[in-house]
Amino acid sequence: MSDSSFTPIPLFYAARNIGRSPLRLVLTASGAALVVFLVVGAMASVRALDAGVRASGTLGNVMIVGAGSEESVERSEIPASAPGVLAASIKGIRTTAGAVYISPELHTPLPLYREGDPAPEGSARSLALVRGVEPAAFLVHPQARLAAGRIPEVGADEVAVGRSLAATLRIADGDVERNGDRPRVLIDEHPHTVTGIIDAPGVAIDGEAWMPITDLLVLTKRQTISAAIVSLDGAELGDVEAFAARRSDLEVAAIDERAYYEQLAQFFRPVRLLIALSAFVVSVGAMFGGLNALDASFASRSREIAMLQVLGFSRTAVIGSLMQESVLAVATGALPAVLLARLVLDGVGVRFSMGIFSLSVDATCVASGLGAGLMLGLVGCLPPAIRCLRSSIPVALKADLV
Amino acid sequence: MVTTEPIIRCHSLEKHYERGGEPVRVLESIDIDIARGEFVALMGPSGSGKTTLLNLFAGIDTPSGGSLVVDGHDIATLSRAALAHWRSRSVGYIFQLYHLVPVLTAYENVELPLFLHGLSGAQRHARVAEALEAVQIADRYSHYPRQLSGGQEQRVAIARAIVGNPSLLLADEPTGDLDRAAATGVMDLLARLHRERGQTIVMVTHDPHTAERAQRIIHLEKGRLVEPLGAAR
Repeated sequence: MSDSSFTPIPLFYAARNIGRSPLRLVLTASGAALVVFLVVGAMASVRALDAGVRASGTLGNVMIVGAGSEESVERSEIPASAPGVLAASIKGIRTTAGAVYISPELHTPLPLYREGDPAPEGSARSLALVRGVEPAAFLVHPQARLAAGRIPEVGADEVAVGRSLAATLRIADGDVERNGDRPRVLIDEHPHTVTGIIDAPGVAIDGEAWMPITDLLVLTKRQTISAAIVSLDGAELGDVEAFAARRSDLEVAAIDERAYYEQLAQFFRPVRLLIALSAFVVSVGAMFGGLNALDASFASRSREIAMLQVLGFSRTAVIGSLMQESVLAVATGALPAVLLARLVLDGVGVRFSMGIFSLSVDATCVASGLGAGLMLGLVGCLPPAIRCLRSSIPVALKADLV
Repeated sequence: MVTTEPIIRCHSLEKHYERGGEPVRVLESIDIDIARGEFVALMGPSGSGKTTLLNLFAGIDTPSGGSLVVDGHDIATLSRAALAHWRSRSVGYIFQLYHLVPVLTAYENVELPLFLHGLSGAQRHARVAEALEAVQIADRYSHYPRQLSGGQEQRVAIARAIVGNPSLLLADEPTGDLDRAAATGVMDLLARLHRERGQTIVMVTHDPHTAERAQRIIHLEKGRLVEPLGAAR
């Protein structure tokens, strides 16, 4: 003989009940779907932003930036001669087959959109980080790989774009592999031909445009570059710091590249919090909509809930069954929402500040969304369930009798 | 078959509520013995306390004073969980408005309380089939409540009440929501259960014709017994 205190109400009771009122089910499922979709989207955004920034640094790389601009390479200015002076002054810089791993770079955010497209309203929406580079950039940034087309030629108004940026510009590999009629973009209103697509999954480069540094210097009418990235092999950060201190005439500072991006990730922390908070606020609204439907569903069944207790089911069993019902109702919205998020959001490039980050709806995002749905189902049903069980059985049995 | 052993024994039973700070005496000094196998009707006007007394017998309400022993259990001393467990084994309850679960079939409604008995699927099936047969509604086993008439719904509700073979069957105005023909059918069924199974039945009603089907009628008025114990027929 089983003890009825611990005997659950069979699952089919909860399963049948979710279809009792299609309208309420739609409201509950819609609320849950919105919450789960937002949680997955927010998680994907936060993780893409964080991972994209953090992964952009490479172990063993040192950045030479303008003294006082250690927190922002975009604001940094160093003499164009600095990389050459550095190469001549430091032993222990990595080389392969005579190629020295020093990449002079110019980083600048510029309006960028596809030729023929209407100019985006508000220049901030069309900004992309344009990086002026030399071929050595591919040496010091091993995350970047030319996936299609070719490297832009100097003086030809050519550019290569990261995979995420290419996706937002609707440029495919085949488009850049043609010899003529390659897609063109306007960079600061100057037409440029897109000759290549760079794959740099999960890092900021994936959302950037790379062009010859001399062309970018001309385009931006600058004489100074932003930074020099150097890969060390034998030398240490302290050696480069000593160089920077010794050559005060260059007015440069040396920083570890990974530390720079780590610090940048910290800088973006409020943004990540804002994304999470926005998702939370909208989720709360959607959640209350769903809970309201759930509340109405339970409240209208107070006599039935009392009847179950008269049969001998314990309050614990009743709450357990209402939780099952709630979780099932929420799952009807949560599962399609996760699937939709995976289909719609995965791989989407999100333009943010000076870069584009590719969203990845990975297992963590899916688990977060489903976890939020589960919590919504479990915790959300408790207030209406407790309210239903608060009345004594005789009172509840006569609840709706006139 | 009526035995001398009482299944319900209450002495100086009282039930009070508080409403707006004022005590409301619903039942006062109730002394009743109901024998095992007896069919008793509780009669009285609205507000006389008959449903409250039935709820006390079922252990879904607790006495304010006096003693109440049902089927050997002192109701006042049992915890809520113990009462629920005892009720699942010993009490079948028939409601005026049936209280069938609308999303379950007749079969599933009757099967529901059997999940508290730890039976196998085959055992449950045998019990449900027997109960539906006993209330002569076996051909409607796959119907949902909305597909049944009021009389048929009440038969399903009676099947649900008897499927666990309870020692005590309590009925609160079982014909109160039925037309005359359906009410007669339900009363015939209760009378047959009493006659053929020796089922102890306590039934609340305000209808004298319905009450006449019982062996004994107990009258309540303003929470007190107004007629001493006596056999109706």
